[in-house]
Order: sequence, then structure tokens, then C-alpha cells
Amino acid sequence: MDIEEVTERAGPRQFGPNDDMPEEYRRAATRMIQFHANSEVMGGYLDKEFTRHAPSLDRKLANTAKVQDEIGHAQLLYRAAETLGVKTRDEMLEELQNGEGKFLNCFHYPVDSWYEAPMIDFFVDGGAMRRQATLKSTSWTPYAHAMDKVCFEEGFHVKHGESILRELMRGSKATQERTQETFEEWWPRILQFFGPTNDESTHNDFAQEVGLKTTSNDELRNSFLNMYVPKAEKYGLEIPEYPRIFERDDGTMAVREDDLDWDEFWTIARNEYEGSDEQIGSRARRQEAVSWVRESLDDWEGSAAGTPQAAD
Amino acid sequence: MSERDSDAGTDETDAPAAASLDRDDLTPEGQIALEELLFRLADDEFVHAERLTEWQIFAPTIESDLALANVAQDEFGHARLWYDLLQELGYTEEECIWRRDPDDWTHATLVERPFADDGWGDDVVRTYLYDVAERIRLEALVDTSYAPLADRVGKALAEEEYHREHALSWLERLASDDDARERLQAALDDLFPHALSLWYPGEHETEIRAAGLRRETLASMREEWLDTVVPTLEGYGLVVPEPDDVSRPDARGRDGSHTDDWFDLQEAFTATHREVDFDRPARLRGEEA
Repeated sequence: MDIEEVTERAGPRQFGPNDDMPEEYRRAATRMIQFHANSEVMGGYLDKEFTRHAPSLDRKLANTAKVQDEIGHAQLLYRAAETLGVKTRDEMLEELQNGEGKFLNCFHYPVDSWYEAPMIDFFVDGGAMRRQATLKSTSWTPYAHAMDKVCFEEGFHVKHGESILRELMRGSKATQERTQETFEEWWPRILQFFGPTNDESTHNDFAQEVGLKTTSNDELRNSFLNMYVPKAEKYGLEIPEYPRIFERDDGTMAVREDDLDWDEFWTIARNEYEGSDEQIGSRARRQEAVSWVRESLDDWEGSAAGTPQAAD
Repeated sequence: MSERDSDAGTDETDAPAAASLDRDDLTPEGQIALEELLFRLADDEFVHAERLTEWQIFAPTIESDLALANVAQDEFGHARLWYDLLQELGYTEEECIWRRDPDDWTHATLVERPFADDGWGDDVVRTYLYDVAERIRLEALVDTSYAPLADRVGKALAEEEYHREHALSWLERLASDDDARERLQAALDDLFPHALSLWYPGEHETEIRAAGLRRETLASMREEWLDTVVPTLEGYGLVVPEPDDVSRPDARGRDGSHTDDWFDLQEAFTATHREVDFDRPARLRGEEA
């Protein structure tokens, strides 16, 4: 299949491993799914911090389950990316470890308090839900299938985050203030989650032409704003004055993008932000510390005693 | 008192029959003994799970991360089963966990030990030693006189089967590699003295058996545990310390004395609860948890 035919046929769940896809498509799809899988792993580095902070046993259990879901999503997505035949999972994990792998901007900011839990679990995950819902109609079928399961579970995560936010905003005045402060810190990052307006984004045009991506960054951010600004206000959070949010002629909301720090965003996109070093470095150190386990597993699987199902 | 002394002079032939007691049938002494037994169970599970979750995201592979998370969640779930029984006896979740003096916790010191970043061997050995012990003590509770406890033992036992298989398959794989086996050995040497603290009696051990709350003595359970773990570990080429020659850690666990790492851990997991000061810990049954 050449690009012209791909563009012509592009539509929801249109292509799969049995189709002879051009390299440009396979590379674009791999880049997108790998980014998504990496983000699940690196999101886990934030979310796992909340398990220790959780102020009730049920919250703790819900949090461990959420962290497990994220690793499960990463597993699913790396598998979907492998179906394109461009990179193996080990290669993608290696790229993540050595700092080449890219992932969502919000996961380049380390966390250390429970007040941050709803920022990630409600707002960032809520934003991810907006995007992932549209990816159920991506043209690469294995990716769309992964999204069916991911979206189902993300629904629970967002509820978990919303419940934490509601509880914090019903807490003492001090707790409410801390939550508001944390929200103000995270809000611009969350708005940048969707990336810059369409024409600034490098890979968007092609990804949309071949149906990998079905909705523009701008549309996604606006759909997020329309849904989440009212929710934030409902729980008593005040939307910061900057970045300015305005209502368009059609009644939908948008953000003045000039109010956001795109230098920081692009530094992050190159994995060069100070938080990038910290998060990627932390993962590299922890992975390195248990490399002896992986080596001994490789030996085991290479030996007569090893069986394929043993590697859990 | 050594672990064997607890059996002296106990005659439980008159103990109440299996599942014959409900909350209102408990004598004051029986209730105190039941609380001791439940706190030992619950604290072990909670602290074990709290440590296990430190490996989430950091496990050596995606698959081992997912499997470890299953085990940790099961153990938190068991902790909840036992803390729920304590709450039926009048305690609150705050009193059981969040506002409890760290010196009152009665878990074995085995489960409070910290993990080094490369300590996956520690995780494997600890989980194995713990899970065999858990199977033995749950089996000893199948015929408990306390009906609400009897109701819940089966669920926990069913899950432990999977945990033990999981730990055994890891032991087998790592023990086949020289470097990995050395790490397992180091973990075993370090943890074994603390594992023995699983079987230390508490203050009300005699009453626990007199009231039929548990049928087996701690000494016989300890014996069964040694008869299982020693040959298994030796079969994997590990050297198990001689139990009677092991020098006992100062911290006994079951009497509320603990290693310093416990106090740091307790401080860390209660910090947010103290700070936000909610009216009560959130309950999410049937919702998210």
C-alpha cells in the first residue's frame, strides 16, 4: 500500500497486521503508541507515590490497583506498538531508560504530596480520557483494541481522582487552600498536556491524514475545558486568572495560548527539563538496580528448565 | 518466655466448638484474646503489603510488576478483613491504623524490614517465608470458635495458594543462577531471624487457645513451618540457619518492640492522614476498592 491509498482508505480501525503498510505509516504509528506506552510507565512513577500517602485503607487499595492498571496499559500498548514491526518492547524500554523515549509533559514533574493526587488522577487522567476516547477510532486496529480496555479502566481512575478531590475540598480551610495552591501549580501544565495549536505540532498533519489521530489538539483541549472547568468549580476550585480562558462565539471555551510557557513545554519535549532528568534518572537507577534479575531470567529462559509462561 | 513456653499447661479440650461463638458470646478475657489474635494477623498483612507496594513500578519486568501488585492488593485486602472484624468489636479504622501508637503494632519484624533498591531477592525470600507461615496459621483458624472469623478464613486461604506458587517459581528461577542464589542466601541470612518472630507468642496466647480461637499451638505451627521451608530452601541450594542458634533480634515485633525502620515507615504512611485531619477515613466499598 502506498501513502496515497492509505490516506484514501484511512478510517476507524481500517488497518491491521495483515495489511502491507508503508514504512512512513508504521513509523508514525509506532512513535505515537510508544509515546503513549511510555507515558503509562512514567505516569506510574508519579502515581505510585500516592500509595504511601493515602489517608485511608480503601484509598490505598484503590491507588495500588490504579498503579497496577497503568503498568497493565503499558504492557498492552507496547504489544500494540510491536505489531507494527518497527521496534521491539525491549528496544522501546531501553530508549525510555537512556533518555531517548518521549512521554507526556505532566509526567516530567515529580510529586510528593497527596494534594497532587487529584491533579494527576482527576485532571491529567481526565484529559487523557478525552484523547483516548477519540483513539478508539484510530486507523491502526491493535491500537484501537488497546484503547477499548484502557478507556474502560481509566473511567475508574478518573472517578477515584474525583472522589479524592471532593474529599479534599470538603476538608478544613487549610486543606482546601493547599489543594487550590496545588491546582494553580498544575493547571498550566494540564492545559499544555494537549500540546500546542495544530499548526505548531510537527507530526500532526500526517497522523491525521492517515487516520492515526482523529481529533486535533485544539479540539481536545477545548473539549477538556468544557467538561472540566465546570467540574473544578463545582468542587470549589478557582480557575487561575492566567492562562486566560475565554468563551468563543459558539459558546465553547478556549485558552489564550500565549499565556502558557511553551519554552518549558519544548524543553520537556526534548527530555531536557530538570524534572525530566529526575524522573528518567530515577527510572534508570531503579531499572539498573534489578538488572541482575532480568539477566538471571534470560539465563533461565535460555536453559532447558525455563518455560515460556514462567516469566512473571 | 521462649516460643515453646506458651504451650505449657494449656488444656483446650473444653474449648468452645468451631464457629460456636458470636460477638455477644465472648467473655471479656476471650474478647481481649481475640483482639490480640486479630491485630497480629491484620498488622502482619498491612505492613507486609505496605512494603511490597514499594516495588510497584520498580519491579524488574512489566510482568513481575503486575504479579507483585496482585499479591500486595490481596494482602491489603486481608488486612481489611481482619481490621473489619476489629471494627465490629468497637474499634475505628483510625484506632486500628492511623492514630495507633507505633509501639502498639504487633506485626512480626520480618515484614517491616526495608528493601534495598536491588533487593528483589529479599522480596522473593520474604514473600516465601511469609506466605508459608500465612497458610499454616490460616489453616489453624479454619476451626476457630469465633464464627465471624471462620467465615473469612476461606477467602484468604484461597488467595494464599497463588502467592505461594508465585514465590516458589521465583525461588526456583533465581536459585538456578549463581549470582542470584548468592543474593537469595544473603537475604535469607538477614531475614531468617526476623521470620522466627512470626511465631513469638503474645500476652494472651494461653487464652487464645483456651477460648478455641485457634486450635494449634504456636510451637507446633512453627515446627510445621520449619518442616516446610527448611527442606524447600535447602533443595534450592540455600543454607538455612539453625533456628535454635539464631541470635534473636532485640526487637520482638509481637510485643510492640520494633526495628527503627518501622518507626520511619509508620511516620511516612500516617503523615497525610495527620495533616488533612478528615472526620473519618474514606470508605469506598463497592465503588473503587
